[in-house]
Amino acid sequence: MMPTIFINPFSQEAKELVKNTGDLNNIIEDNLYLFHIIEHTSGQKLDDDSRIPRSIWELSIKRIEWYLQKKGRQKYHPGYYRFLFNPKLAEFDVITFYVLAQAIGARFNPNSREARVFIESEGELVKERLSRTENHLKDNISTSILEELLDGEKPHWTQLKKLLENRKIKLTELILEDGKVILDKKSQQGRTQHIIDSIREKIIPYLIMQETEEYIHKVHEMAAKIEPHHTLLELADKIREKISQQFFIPKKAVTGTIRASRLDFDAFPPCIKNTIAGVKAGNRNDAIVLLLTGFISYARLYPSIFKDRKPHKVSDFDPNLDITLNEILPLIYEAADNCEPPLFQDDPQEKFNITAKLGFGLHETPSLEHEGESKWYTPMSCEKIKIHLPILCKPDKLCEKIQNPLTYYNRKRWEKKEKGDKDIPRSNTRR
Amino acid sequence: MIRIFQEATPEDRRKYYAKEWKIENIPKFIRENIHLREFGFDHTGQGPNDRYRFFRDEKLLIKFLRYRAPYAAYSSVALYNRPWRREGWISSELVFDVDAKDLPVRPCKCDNVCEECLDQAKEIVAMIIDTLRDDLDLDDIHVIYSGRGYHIRVLDPIVLELGSEVRGQILRYVVGGDVPRLSYIGVDGDIRSLDHFMVDMGYPRVFTERSRYTILHLSGDDKIEDITRRTMKKILESRDLIRSDEWGEFKGVIGPIVYERLIRSVAKLNLQLVDARVTVDLKRILRLPSSLHSKVSMICTHVKNLETFDPFKDAVPDFVKEKS
Repeated sequence: MMPTIFINPFSQEAKELVKNTGDLNNIIEDNLYLFHIIEHTSGQKLDDDSRIPRSIWELSIKRIEWYLQKKGRQKYHPGYYRFLFNPKLAEFDVITFYVLAQAIGARFNPNSREARVFIESEGELVKERLSRTENHLKDNISTSILEELLDGEKPHWTQLKKLLENRKIKLTELILEDGKVILDKKSQQGRTQHIIDSIREKIIPYLIMQETEEYIHKVHEMAAKIEPHHTLLELADKIREKISQQFFIPKKAVTGTIRASRLDFDAFPPCIKNTIAGVKAGNRNDAIVLLLTGFISYARLYPSIFKDRKPHKVSDFDPNLDITLNEILPLIYEAADNCEPPLFQDDPQEKFNITAKLGFGLHETPSLEHEGESKWYTPMSCEKIKIHLPILCKPDKLCEKIQNPLTYYNRKRWEKKEKGDKDIPRSNTRR
Repeated sequence: MIRIFQEATPEDRRKYYAKEWKIENIPKFIRENIHLREFGFDHTGQGPNDRYRFFRDEKLLIKFLRYRAPYAAYSSVALYNRPWRREGWISSELVFDVDAKDLPVRPCKCDNVCEECLDQAKEIVAMIIDTLRDDLDLDDIHVIYSGRGYHIRVLDPIVLELGSEVRGQILRYVVGGDVPRLSYIGVDGDIRSLDHFMVDMGYPRVFTERSRYTILHLSGDDKIEDITRRTMKKILESRDLIRSDEWGEFKGVIGPIVYERLIRSVAKLNLQLVDARVTVDLKRILRLPSSLHSKVSMICTHVKNLETFDPFKDAVPDFVKEKS
């Protein structure tokens, strides 16, 4: 039977369990019972001893490794990670969750890539565990999770504000009545109930991710006041190493990947060309900060983001920030100067916002020491451009087929290549 | 004959602000925090170029309006600690701007605005307010007649601090801007989907209502993405089925593939019922209720009762009545 704590590490039961667990020094010690559970997990591959975690420390690393490998696809062998879905592991799993959350929260910024990978891995685990649960058990577990995290199965829609802000769910995907989100089991007849069930299942992993994020924030704040345990910091360093290995950009790119290269202005979509030509007051800030910054940086460094969907950092592609400082920023600043009136003339703080959108926090210029203080934002989608910057959206024929300016850029470059256009800038970074 | 929709002269403006305009006609929700709002003015008819204005109290605003008799006056939907610099943002009203001139389907086909499209705008406002109340549990809702349409201004505390993203999502909800995604995994493990008209509650119901409205207001000359003239003819011929809520029949008549195309395009049209830029902009300035819309010589008016409000009686300034 699937215990609730296996899905929800924030349940009262899970919190009690962690409270009563011994000290952190024990997490590096081998645990025979843990080994026994893994060894007896149905379908678990046992041909390689090094792949079997024997302590909480090793289990923590395996948890992250599972996610990285699953997302990376190339070396993923699910048989080596079957234990992560064995409910008998639930108690170890809860302890591992808290050890990881505290290690990451203590060592890294809550917006860091390490924190994001951990939060996403937790969401993915919850999603997969839920999908493996029998229907009648799933209902009970979901109900108890909704009751614990949302004070019931009919929360006010504003209780999901953060999920809406982060675009994890859309308001139009929910069923609302008198301001309440209908999530309760057996409240509706027939097919409508199926829809409500699928909303329940979709929402739960995101709720756990949101709680995890908030917990990491709390740990991070605490760590500024109290010296974290050295074991946690060592584990955090090991996790960083693991994640960096996954995100290291090999010299030879994989066949078919859209590679970084010098910018091809000819392949820019109309909205970007219009932005570079200069934007009038009223639209300048959004056009430069939210549209152009994401577009230029991704087009130059990581054009295949929407294909790969890996949370890379700028420095993965530009380790010394040479390209960022000497190519990307000058182009953005030039476009800002072309605005009417020039953007930085009356809004100098927008330089800070541009740096933040590149993932380097609110600073005037990007520097490696601040990387991870904010997210590296992708350019706004065509849908958003139509709403926020309709004046820049002058679609051509190719625009009809795409949903983001970056996709346009890749497509156009591909079309040019297919036509034998030799005037396509060649790759000059490691990817 | 009332000479509405003709531009007011500088003399008309002076007369209006000197004799007819009263501070009491500005709604209380603006008057009580005048000192926290940014004001903007258009003195020449070229747009609100005089911005970052701030008034410590009502008296100063009265003095300014009487003395300058602006072409147009605006105030921010946001409250700021330092409105003169647009800094120290505190909160913003949630706003929907329904402009009769920009409605995506206008059977009247007029060039600017007329009684018919203003009525249409009013009808849309009423539908949006119903959804805000019934589905989103919002209550503190004010309607302002802007001169060429309506502003809906929501002041419930739970919406005042929302960011642009959630405001954009509320907009899509109330106008029916997304085709509902209604799929689930059946007992056999296959993915099954429902049509929007099969779920008579929540957003699917809102979408069905808005789509009904849009389809029933198509004039036949409207250019709709992915819909040919021939298909449009078929839609118009069969749309009585929608009037009588026989959506399944309607889908059968025009064909499921064409129906999918139609419904996707209708969602895009629905999105144009409201000016989305206004809703997502936290620092927008809106026409000041009680001020004169000089371009059309009408008063921007706080609507007390939408049912009985008639812009041609309730928003006409004295100088227009005198000239008529």
